[in-house]
Order: sequence, then C-alpha cells, then structure tokens
Amino acid sequence: MLAYILRRLGYGVGVVFGVLFVLFVLFFQIATPDDIARRALGEKARAQDIEDWKANNGYDRPLWPWQDFRDNQLFTHYHSMLRFDFGRSDVDGTPIARRLREGVAPSLTITVPIFVLSLLLTVLLGLFVAFFRETYIDIAGVFLCVLGMSVSILLYIIGGQFLIGKLLHWFPISGFDLDPSVMLRFIALPVMIGVLSAAGGDVRFYRTVFVEETGRDYVRTARAKGAGELRVMLRHVLRNSLIPILTRVVVTIPFLFVGSLLLENFFGIPGLGSLTVDSIQQNDFRTLRVIVFVFSLMFIGGQIATDISYAAVDSRVRLE
Amino acid sequence: MNRGNLACCACALLLLAGCSNNPYPDADSATRTYYTTFVEAHRTLDPAEAYNVSAHKVTGLVYDTLLEYHYLKRPYTLIPGLATEVPVAEPLADGGVRYRFRLREGAGYGDDPCFERGGKGRRSREVVAEDIAYQLQRLADPALQVQVREPFSRIVGFRDFMTALEARRRADPAFAALPARLQYQQLGGIPGLRVPGRYELEVRLSEPYPQLLYWFAMEFSTPVPWEAVEYYDARPGRARFADHPVGAGAFQVVEYQKQSRVVLERNPNWYGYRHPDAPAARYPSEGAPGDAALGLLDPAYRGRPVPFVDRIEIRLDKEDIPRFGKFLQGYYDVSKIIKESFDQVVQSDRLTPEMEALGVRLQKAVSPSVFYLGFNMADKAVGAAAGARGRKLRQAMSLAVDSARFIELFLNGRGVEAQAPLPPVLAGYPEGYRNPYRQVDLERARRLLGEAGYPEGIDPQTGKPLRLSFDTYATSSQVLLQREFFVNEWRKIGIDVEIANTTYNEFQAKLERGAYQLYFYGWSADYPDPENFLFLLTCDMRRIPHNGPNSANFCDARYDRLFAQMEVMPNGPERNAIIEEMLAILREERPWIELFHRIDYSLAHEWISNLKPFGMSHPMYKYYDVDPKRRAELRAARNRPVVWPAWALLGVAVLGVAPGVRTFFRNRQ
Repeated sequence: MLAYILRRLGYGVGVVFGVLFVLFVLFFQIATPDDIARRALGEKARAQDIEDWKANNGYDRPLWPWQDFRDNQLFTHYHSMLRFDFGRSDVDGTPIARRLREGVAPSLTITVPIFVLSLLLTVLLGLFVAFFRETYIDIAGVFLCVLGMSVSILLYIIGGQFLIGKLLHWFPISGFDLDPSVMLRFIALPVMIGVLSAAGGDVRFYRTVFVEETGRDYVRTARAKGAGELRVMLRHVLRNSLIPILTRVVVTIPFLFVGSLLLENFFGIPGLGSLTVDSIQQNDFRTLRVIVFVFSLMFIGGQIATDISYAAVDSRVRLE
Repeated sequence: MNRGNLACCACALLLLAGCSNNPYPDADSATRTYYTTFVEAHRTLDPAEAYNVSAHKVTGLVYDTLLEYHYLKRPYTLIPGLATEVPVAEPLADGGVRYRFRLREGAGYGDDPCFERGGKGRRSREVVAEDIAYQLQRLADPALQVQVREPFSRIVGFRDFMTALEARRRADPAFAALPARLQYQQLGGIPGLRVPGRYELEVRLSEPYPQLLYWFAMEFSTPVPWEAVEYYDARPGRARFADHPVGAGAFQVVEYQKQSRVVLERNPNWYGYRHPDAPAARYPSEGAPGDAALGLLDPAYRGRPVPFVDRIEIRLDKEDIPRFGKFLQGYYDVSKIIKESFDQVVQSDRLTPEMEALGVRLQKAVSPSVFYLGFNMADKAVGAAAGARGRKLRQAMSLAVDSARFIELFLNGRGVEAQAPLPPVLAGYPEGYRNPYRQVDLERARRLLGEAGYPEGIDPQTGKPLRLSFDTYATSSQVLLQREFFVNEWRKIGIDVEIANTTYNEFQAKLERGAYQLYFYGWSADYPDPENFLFLLTCDMRRIPHNGPNSANFCDARYDRLFAQMEVMPNGPERNAIIEEMLAILREERPWIELFHRIDYSLAHEWISNLKPFGMSHPMYKYYDVDPKRRAELRAARNRPVVWPAWALLGVAVLGVAPGVRTFFRNRQ
C-alpha cells in the first residue's frame, strides 16, 4: 500500500509541475504584465506608473528561460510555488497566505452544510425512490431528478434570490457575515440552493445504485429470513452500496475547501471561490497561481484518499 | 420531552431565528447608522495611493483635508477644513508662489493603538503641520504607487527629493532599512515645504498653479501620523497601513473586513467638536438655487454641528440586482438605478407610482464628466496632416452624430448633450453655449464632406465610400451596439466606418503606436476646474510622444498659449473670455466630437435627510441624517416573511406521495 501511495504521489508531482506550466502559459497568452499593472492601478494610470509598478513587482523581467536563463519569470514562478512562498497579491499587495486563511472559513461555512445536508437528503431520497421502484412515486421522482439536472445552477441562484430573498423575505438576497447572530440567515439560502441544485443528479445516481443492489441474492435471502423492508434497505442495501457512495463523496471533499465559484460570487461570500473569480477578473496572476497550485495538491490528495477508503470499506480491494 | 422532540424543537427554533431577510444584527436597527455599499474590494486605503471611488468612500471619511468643498454651493466652492482659512497665493521674486496654511489647534486623530509609542495607554494625538509635510514627502516616495505626483511636483525640490531618495536607498542598505520618516529627515525633506510652527505649513511652488488648492481638498494631502505608518507595516499578525487607515476625519474605522464590510464610528477627537464654528463642522446655511425647495436648507439642520449620524456601515455588494433588491427592501439607504430596473423605477423622467408609494426620492445631478469621440490628429486621413480637408471631414462627422438620440437610446435619458469638453457644472462654462458643429445637420455635413474632397462620402482614390476605422474595446454586446450607433450615423452621410474591436490592452497598445483613427473615451474631473478638462488637449499631454492622456494627439500652439494663461488665472470674466477663445479653437478644429455629460440619478429612502449628489469622489456623509425609528418601522412592514408557500409545498408533496405509499404497503400485505 505504501508503494502504491508513493507511486501515486510521484505521479502527483508530475501533474502539479504540468498544471503550473499550463497555467503560466495560458495566463500570459491572455494577459501581459501591462494588463496586470493596469488592473492594479486603474484606468487613470499613466505609462510611467505602469512601468514603475512592473519594476516594483518583478514583472519587468523576461518571461521565458531562453530570454534570460538566470532571471526569468517562469523560473521564479516554479521557485516560489515549490517553496510554498505564496507572496503578495498583484492587485492589492495583501499576503496571499492570509487571503487563503481568511477565505477558508466562509467557504467551509457554506460548502460543509451543503455537503452534509446534500449527502443525507439525497441518500435518503435515493433509498425512498428505490424502495418504491416501479410505482408512480419512482417515475415522478426520476422525472423530477432529470428536470432538476437539466436546470442550470444560475437559474437556481437567480430564481432563489428573487423568490426566497425578494418576494418571500425568508432570508437576505445575498451577503455574508460571520457574526453568529446573523450568520444563519446568510448561509440558509445559498445552502438551500446548493443542496437543491445537486439533488437531481445525486438522487438519480443513488437510486440506480440502490435499485441494482436490491436485485441481488443477499437481499432476497434477507427478505426470506423475514427481515423488514426498512431493515433490508438501511442495514443491507445501504451498507453494500458504500463503495460508489464513497467514490462520489471522497472526491468531493477537497472541493469543499475551494468553495463554490458561482454561489460565492452571486451571494457575495468572501470565500476561496470568490477569490478565484476575482483573481481571474482582476488579472491577479500571483493569487490565481496559488489557488491553482493548492487546488491541484488537494485534488491529488483526494484521489489518493478515495483509493485508500476503498480498501477501508471493502476488504477485497488491494492497493498494489 | 424525549430527545427526538428536543432535537426537533431545536431545529425549528434555529430555523425561526434564521428566518429573516435583515442582513444586519437586530440590535443595529435602533442606531443612527447610514448604510451604503461599495462594489469592489479596496486595493489600498493608503491616502497616498488610493485613487478610486470605492476607496475614497472610506478614505474621504477617515482622512480630513486642509480644505473642503462647500456641501451645497454650485459651482463648487472651496472652504477651510483643517486649515483656518483658504490661503492666497503669494508671488515670489523667483517667479514661484507660496501658500501658507494654518491648522486648527486641538484637531485629533481617531483612536488607535499605534499612538502608544507616545506613552502607555495613549490612543490619539494632536494633528500638527509636520504630519502634512510627512504625507507630502510620502507622495514623493518612489516605493509608493502614487498616481498624482505630477501636480505635486510643482513643489520646489519635489522631484529632486524623489530622485535622491531612490539613489540613496540603492547605494546605502543601512539607510534603506531605516523607517521612511527617518530617511526623509536624513535627506533634509523637500525644500519647498517648511514648517515654521507647530500649526503652520508653507508650500512653495516653482510656478503659479492655483489648482494646487483643489489637491489640498483631496486625501492625498491629508495629515498622516507617522506612528500609524510605522506600526502597521504588515509584521506578522498586524495589518498593513494600507488596510488600516488612521486619520483626523470625522469618522474612524472600527471594523474593516476587506472582502465584506467597513464600519465607521464618530472620531471623538475630530476638530469639529472643538471648533463647532468651523465652516466644515456645521451644516451650511446657504446653498445653490433650488436647494431650499428640495428641503436641503431645512431650519432644523441649518448651522447645526455635524456629523448627524453616529455610525456608517459600508457593505461590499458586487452584483447590481441583489444590491438594488436590498435597497428596495430598505437595507441600503441610497442607491443608483440599475439599467435592468430603470423602466420599473423611472418613466417619463419621473418616479413610477410604485416607487413613490415606497417613499423613495429621485435625485439628479450632472456630474463633472465628459464622454466623447476622438479623432487621432496624427492620422494622415482624419488628422492635422490632412489640413483643411481633414478639418472639414471632422466637422462633417461631428454634424452627423445625434447625441440626444444616443442619450435616449442607451442612457435612458441620463445625459446632457455636450457642446464642449467642459461640463456645464463648472465655473467658466459659457452660459447657454451652443456649438454649431454639435447640432445635427446632415445637409451641411454632406456639403462639408464634398468640400473635403469626398462628395457623397466617396473617396476619389478608391471610388468607394470613404473607409475609416473605429477602434474600441467593447466588453459587452451592449457596448458594441453603442459603437454601431455611431457607425450608422456616419453611414447617413456616406462614410463607411469599420469597428475594430479588441482587448483593452491591445487598444492601449494601439494608442501608444498611434495606429487608430477614431475612438470613444470619457473623463471625470478630479477637481472642478476647467483646467482639469482643457489640459487633455494640450501638446504636452499628447499620447505620442509624451504618453499623456491627450489620445487625440491634438496640438495647437495658440490653444497652448491660451491654456498657459488660463491655467494660472483666478475664476472671473477675464478667465472666462480666454476659455471661450479656447473652445472656439476646439469648435473649428474638432479633435473631439463631444457627446454627453452624465447625469447621475440616485434614489434615497424617505428616512434619510440632507442628501445632495456631489458629483465628485468625496463622501459627504457627515451632512446626512437618518431617522432610525421610521426606517425600522418601514423595514419591518416591507419584509414580513411570507411562509404559506412552504406549507403549501409540503402539503402538495405529502398529498402526492401518500396514496402511492398506502397502495404500495397494501399490495405488499
């Protein structure tokens, strides 16, 4: 197992190197150091201000090693990332490590409840629909799932803000505050939307898994031995469906820290998703590369954790 | 009650507690708080570097300046702020001028731990003239990203100080490691700045520059306590000075969450409490014509000490629609009108009955800005090189563009047709001025086009319609439609203009290379002086070769001579006559087709008083007042949660599923 993990980590290093290179190439294909400077300084910035800014921030140096082998931005890019020296934002000079730390709590405040509620609700609904398979409840359930999957999350967000925030006045239309007296109000709507938007796909998936399990011999044996339907579903079917559930769940965990790009942006939640969108919009290369780097590491970690969890829940799985 | 019931009750209570759309803690509703928004996180709140509207909403409150603007009077008028009076330029024998400022005694900075350097438990200190000299030296510090050095570089020795500082830092690492204040002291400061007394500051300029006084009404020249700069140096666990403003304004920051909100409360050490008769420490007793009718000279407020509000909360709200929705719910006190909702809010230039029923007030103000189409005068077809032909071509194209229609179609009527680069709200704007080339006249345009050598718009060299390029960086289809509007206008006189859309950066690169013919641009005033608009067309400001903001590359020796005269004159008939001469040159030469001056429409709720749109980037919140009781009542009435749809949905779900469940179990049995 150790050899397996080390091999996967080795692949991961290669992936991270590649991701950092692709990011560097793509970013500087679209934006130039002048773009970065203009976004940082504003439209009234004069040419000299832009030159000064580039010199103060190291963007006046060549991009590629073949332009200057010793002093180029690609080398600095790798050098900084591999030493976990995240530096400061191009836009406002804030230490990026601090921005990441500040962004984790707001992101987790919405992603964790979405994750937990979504998992509970969709597994239960999946069991429910599978339990009533081939009845009109099953057909209506699958229909609603497909309908839910077909609607863009943007519509959920805008519709939710309009209906629940503006018309029904249940929760604030948008915004965020970690003050405990109001926090619940702010997270309620994005969490509802997050759960609802993912429900269609998840319920349908879990239903399929459960329906497949209910046709197996051990289920028939359990029933023949007199086990009640509830016991069959919760004790036997659910337990034996854990591998596909885990696959879906464990891969999601790293994404919790990265936040939700759209939800955070539309609800004004100052988390890591919002930071990602802002850094793209503001040409903040230094922040963007840190987010991509950290995300790559988490993704690789998540993949390895998934494999390990297989072995943990199913003794037939061997990692070699 | 068993555990299950307890859990259910807890969940229900939790949901009930959360079921409110009020984004503020309930306890805040009784406070005299003014609620507003900013739309992007601040890059910096260092008054030397901050140069955008969002940042000025905070720095303008925290950092008081020597001079301020009269809140109500138009044209804009300077009044003393921290200074005891507006100084007069004293001519010097060497051709320069001197301004002598005297500060009010007893003005104090907002409470902050940085002042403990002056003694344990100390939370503030008095503002002294040295603090302003220190900030002006910071403006010359090359380590800071200051975008307004050019106007301050007229202070004697400013540039030399900057060069010397940079050179010494490079040559002497020990010097570079010292706090900036000590570095400035070791270099002897800027020669043009003298501090003869604790409250006296002398500023010597190498040449007359009356506009300097406007710069002393901006936060760039505010007093800054060196203790704050040195304390907030981003050492681990400590904010940067750029994120922790400490100033001598009427308000101080008590909470700063860069990505969500800024909360300010009254600064107990503000000079206004010690000098309640200071002009900027009282609500004005006189204003512009019409102010009384708008309730802006209410006897209940006239002459009363400001500020009226105790607290200001500014929330980051990037998205237009949710922001406007929260304004309608009463959670923001003022708002601009978003384009998506314009028709629901305003019809026939008046508030709709729905808005009036909400008690919302509409306020309009012409902003000191101008939007225009520019010709590249360095281009051989449309520019100066084409001589009289080029001039007539520009005149013809100017006659073809209907600004009124553009304003109606794309701005919902929120604009004043521009006749000149100057907006009409400035002193020096010729009353009732009509530019003959800005009245639509297609017949005359065709005639001029013929005289320019393009009869019916046909280029004799190609035998086809004259083809020109319109460079733009439209980021949305709406903007592209606006550009197409102009193309259609010119098509009416036979000219074929092609839109060359590109990225902002590529557009800038084209400007730098001079590879463009026509472009669209705008300019908003930093200060309300005609010089701040007319300088945009001087030779020294040309994009090529000076990289200045004169993207038309217009250069006219007579215009420049007149500008040099006008620039240093006080407002008055003599200056106005020169301005008219300059406008006459622009009228004939047509480097710009002036389009419109923006009219800012803003909405305010009935519980807020004394609100007058200011036009420039200066928050005037100390003059505002709110009625928290009325606000709380109206908010409660407008935001009662409507819960029946939840029960209805639950009922439908239960009724829908129940028969199926019943049948299923019956079959099983």
